[in-house]
Amino acid sequence: MPDRRMFWRIMRRLFAAQRGRLLVILLALGAGAALSAALLNLQVDAKSRLVREFRVFGPNVIVAPRGAGGSSAGLSTPGESTLDESVVQQVAQSIPPRVTADSYLYLVAAVSSSASSQPVSAVIAGKRSELIDRSSWRSAIVTPRGIKNRCLVGVKASEQLNLQSADRLMLQAGGREESCVSEIADRRGDAEDSQIVVNLDAAQRLAALPGKISLMQLSVTGKPREIQAYITALAQKIPSADVHGLRQFTDAEAKIYDRISGLLTTTTALVLVLTGLCVMAAMTNVAMERRADVGLMKAIGGATRRVLRLFLAEAALLGLAGGVVGAAAGLMLSISLGKTVFGVAARPRLIVYPVSVALTILVAIVSAYPLRRLASISPASVFRGEA
Amino acid sequence: MFLRLVADSFARRPRRKLLTGAALALGMAVVTAAFSVSLDVGDRLAHEFRSLGANLLVTPQADSLPLEIGGVDYRPVDAGAYLPERDLGKLKTIFWRNNIVGFAPVMEVPVEAWTKSSQSLSAPAYSVKTTLIGTWAHQPVAIPDGRSYFTGMEQTNSWWHVDGRWFRDAAECLAGKSFAARAGVKTGDVLHINSSGKNIALTVTGILSAGGPEDDAVVAPLQVAQQFAGKPGQYRRLYVSALTKPEDDFARRNPASMKPAELERWSCSPYASSIAYQIKQVLPGVDARVIRRVAEGEGSILTRVRSLLWLATLAALLAAVLAVGASSAASVIERRSEIGLMKAIGAGSGTIGFLLAAEQLLLAFVGGGVGYALGIVLARILGEKIFGVAPEPSILVFVVILGLAALVTLLGSAIPLRRASRYEPAQILRGE
Repeated sequence: MPDRRMFWRIMRRLFAAQRGRLLVILLALGAGAALSAALLNLQVDAKSRLVREFRVFGPNVIVAPRGAGGSSAGLSTPGESTLDESVVQQVAQSIPPRVTADSYLYLVAAVSSSASSQPVSAVIAGKRSELIDRSSWRSAIVTPRGIKNRCLVGVKASEQLNLQSADRLMLQAGGREESCVSEIADRRGDAEDSQIVVNLDAAQRLAALPGKISLMQLSVTGKPREIQAYITALAQKIPSADVHGLRQFTDAEAKIYDRISGLLTTTTALVLVLTGLCVMAAMTNVAMERRADVGLMKAIGGATRRVLRLFLAEAALLGLAGGVVGAAAGLMLSISLGKTVFGVAARPRLIVYPVSVALTILVAIVSAYPLRRLASISPASVFRGEA
Repeated sequence: MFLRLVADSFARRPRRKLLTGAALALGMAVVTAAFSVSLDVGDRLAHEFRSLGANLLVTPQADSLPLEIGGVDYRPVDAGAYLPERDLGKLKTIFWRNNIVGFAPVMEVPVEAWTKSSQSLSAPAYSVKTTLIGTWAHQPVAIPDGRSYFTGMEQTNSWWHVDGRWFRDAAECLAGKSFAARAGVKTGDVLHINSSGKNIALTVTGILSAGGPEDDAVVAPLQVAQQFAGKPGQYRRLYVSALTKPEDDFARRNPASMKPAELERWSCSPYASSIAYQIKQVLPGVDARVIRRVAEGEGSILTRVRSLLWLATLAALLAAVLAVGASSAASVIERRSEIGLMKAIGAGSGTIGFLLAAEQLLLAFVGGGVGYALGIVLARILGEKIFGVAPEPSILVFVVILGLAALVTLLGSAIPLRRASRYEPAQILRGE
């Protein structure tokens, strides 16, 4: 094995010879690797963050009673179009692991408070939020404990009723009565501004519809295609209900997601290519300085292929070193960058690490490739200083 | 002599200079593209976000409590207040009129509907209870300055999918998907609508799938709803879709408590809330509210995408610094003997540094210029591919890019230049 020993000896010499040059190359390769690892990781992470970000829009899937009377008729005679509460269980057994499900029962009631002289009719929304979580080990529906006797009054409704926080409210419908303590909700600008949200149980008692709900709103996180697949699956699973996406949000989300992910992918690809080319330019510049070495090796009898292989091996080793250190640094960087962009630290994706190390090695080898041209020059001209 | 030295340096090492210049041009091209797209992305995405529909809701100020569930008001027609339709042209007179993409007034009437076919299927008196939503599809609105502007649900609710075509006059309507299934209505059927003693026959021109409560309703021109309600020229609610700037803390402040200068700055930013404020000023007796769910989601996503793009721009810049730095470091090392010679014949460190810096700057301007031209082409391709609209090339970007190129080359060569100025001429000339 004298051949291999010699190879490593030359390697050591090459590395030891010019520390400054080595530092420049390692810096370039490492920084390139760090940059691409950070960007790749952010890019992969951003897409999944984005779909979570979309949930600011609120629920995107509706489970409603099928064709029975319609919501307008349902309002005048509430019994006509309701779902059984058991539908929550059916949804829970369905596909995505984490879903927030809000069950609503709507009715119109006469609302009066101590401050208002006359009862006002308002929409009462009985609401129960559930977090269906099958990803954790206990796989359960988590029903947050409803605050008993509290009702969330929309801004418009509170203005109409002359209501302050913590006033007592009386709700009357069909001779039944419920009371609650008011809490003024934030201004939202939609229908909930004029509604009064109470516990689902209270609304069911008030409407004399125990165990019934008007509709369910699901907030499903996922890529647009996943959400569509989920809607189809759920519709098959619960034939008694009408499951549909809230087109306003699902359509817009799909469109915006496409745009943004296209944007991110192309910019990332561009910057990656650029980083590669820049590292290559830097490396090539440095590599061309090896003329004298190549000339010497050829002069003392090194075959062109062997000499070339030596330098390519050197480049690959440098690429590996730069990549291993740089990519790790890049992943760390992306964690903190993720924090500044999304407020949450980006999760390091393991796939990114080997990919960026491999990319760095590739770039290092490719940028040492111009040395091939040196193989054709005669050693004598190098020594004369002509090349 | 100085110029000659610089020119000589370029002539003697064309390949080396070309390589550095190319790296710089490439880097600047990507930076230019990323920069132009980042500048433009806010506007482009704001347009995309308009497919979410209205972000402002206008209602009468002195109104009874709406019985609104999922966007449909179930109040009887005689309850609550209405707003005049003829004022709507004034919306296009506010300061941010060009940011208003579209608006559509809405009025709901509870009705009963039947068709000939459903009548023949079941009992003769069979009719289906539903809601008639009166609105605009694509309506010309007269603007006070004499022009007219077309708007309606086709603009504001772009997710509404009509199988068939939209209604064009007061004798036509759309049937919601679930309603159509329930009442057995097809495109082309004549739908008889009955409410509070009035009877109107409408031809169904399309089936609407909206994914909301509208699926279970009849959507007809606003004047049909006005006839049923006996409220000619009036509407109940107005949806406004406007291009807005993401809201920050400043945007959420109450305009009533602002100083005049602040109020001016506030109303000169297209925040959703300042547009709402201006709508309130131009339409008397209305309450204009920001639909938080839409506006806030839009703001947060926009901010994030923008900062991601800035990061990518920064990364491109870093890569360019890297390339230029490494290649100029290499060139200084290579030119040791030249530097030594110059020093030996009496050039000071300052002069040499100046000479080298001038060379780099020349390179920066040429490389930066070429890079800018390339980057603009790249940005056009990107913009057209992703958004269908190319970003406008801007002078600002050009100036910034040239400045950046100069900065990058100077930064990249700062360390090697400092080293070069410390060389001992005697050592170099001896070959050490």
